[in-house]
Amino acid sequence: MIVVRAPMRISFVGGGTDLPDFYRRSPGAVISTAIDKFVFVVINRTPLIDKVSARYSISETVDHASELQHTRIRAALMDLGIDTGLEIASFASLPAKTGIGSSSSFSVALMKGLNAYLGKNIGPREAAEAASRLEIELVGEPIGKQDQYAAAFGGFNVFRFQADGSVDVEPVLLDYRKRLALEQHMVVFFTGITRFASTVLGEQKANIDKTFSTLQDMAAMVPEFKLRLEDGDFEAIARMLHEGWLRKKGLASGVSSSLIDCLYETAMRAGAWGGKVLGAGGGGCLMFLAPPDRREHVRKAVWDVVRTANLPDFKDIPVRFVQSGAEALYQHSDFATKL
Amino acid sequence: MKSYILNFSAKVEQAIRELPQEEIGRALNILQAVYERDGRIYVFGNGGSLALATHWVADFNKTVFSQNLGHSRQRFQTIRVPTTEEELTAWANDVGYDYVFSGPLENYLQDSDAVIAISSSGNSINVIKAVELARSRHVPVIALSGFDGGILNTLADAKVLVATDKGEYGVVESVHGVVLHLMTQYFKDYFKHLDTLEAERSVTIA
Repeated sequence: MIVVRAPMRISFVGGGTDLPDFYRRSPGAVISTAIDKFVFVVINRTPLIDKVSARYSISETVDHASELQHTRIRAALMDLGIDTGLEIASFASLPAKTGIGSSSSFSVALMKGLNAYLGKNIGPREAAEAASRLEIELVGEPIGKQDQYAAAFGGFNVFRFQADGSVDVEPVLLDYRKRLALEQHMVVFFTGITRFASTVLGEQKANIDKTFSTLQDMAAMVPEFKLRLEDGDFEAIARMLHEGWLRKKGLASGVSSSLIDCLYETAMRAGAWGGKVLGAGGGGCLMFLAPPDRREHVRKAVWDVVRTANLPDFKDIPVRFVQSGAEALYQHSDFATKL
Repeated sequence: MKSYILNFSAKVEQAIRELPQEEIGRALNILQAVYERDGRIYVFGNGGSLALATHWVADFNKTVFSQNLGHSRQRFQTIRVPTTEEELTAWANDVGYDYVFSGPLENYLQDSDAVIAISSSGNSINVIKAVELARSRHVPVIALSGFDGGILNTLADAKVLVATDKGEYGVVESVHGVVLHLMTQYFKDYFKHLDTLEAERSVTIA
């Protein structure tokens, strides 16, 4: 039995510059942090049962990996040459498609777990690359690499995406006071509107020529954002988030909607310094930074709008930052298989 | 006499001023991640470095939570390797001195752990062997080294090098003591701060 977990993430600035169509032409950069919402993957070896089981929102049991419906588990198993005799289950603290990277967190945990299943211990970089390869090359999703790296490494980081496909990882070193203070400035909501990142990113990718200079501007904001964050100047980073959000809205039509704009403007009027939609947009989560004494006011104002709108799954999401990345929490060798 | 004392103090002061702050930051983040996943921290070294390791474990395990020992918060687990002199001499006598840390460590080490390796020269073979074991399992390594850092500094994830002339054991070990106390103080302050925030929150709710 192997238990692996990987955190979800909040990305602040630079999303979209991790797409190959961008970073092959101009260096990409994203600043993000891992949060205390995790995806768990459990892998159990079943040498006496010639089946493959995958348990996620549904449960499937088939004779061979190639017959699985779950595209990423199927592709990963076939690529690694694992055909039968195991069970894979996943668990998560939030639903899929919330915009905080849960699908890549799953892929990172899966690849770390499957490598451990094969007796190979892989580190964060290998796990991030294996998950990126799985999602982008094997499954063909039009996504970038920032989520896989954020989930594999954990903590606050700047990721730089180079033209040759390599990724530089630079940790942002915040002491506990700044980290906890930032948490106290944050308000995060799940809109209840879910979407596949690939839908919005697909349009964004198709528009890449039009939006190229916008993405360059966003990548250029990352070093300044990092400095302000290290200084603990949360108002300045909130203003940068606001600016980034306005730019991001121009990238694809699905990034925002009139309802999301309304919620955003409500929070700003109630005293938020700035914010953004987390993930590729089109729904997912909304994040704001506000002075701690205005936080409750922002929350109430947004909820007042939510009650008049048709948003049955809208939720407050309390968030703490974590230093943890992808981790094997439990590994038990199967003595029985060695008899 | 005064100038002799001042001379030594000046070397220590300089070494403290030149401490690699970013690397110490990385080390604190590694410890933070171990705490979050409820892993353990193994620490080892030879001679004075082993004394530093033992001192640190005693301080850390007791004082980090001493503000509020009755609190139900999850605790840290830090362990000196090997844990007993019997184990140390058994490995040294029966297997070889090169295995006094890696041998026992192999019995304990899990993926969720981290290690702190202390070596002034950075070239002690037994320390390197234990670090290689940790690296082979992708367990994060914090290295406290001196002089030019030796092999140890090149192998670590957090490279806390106290750069001095070769052979300045006293200066290096003194400053390693400072760094280890900083780590203890950081987490002591962190948990105290969390307690304060929680107390404020409960007042607000009430």
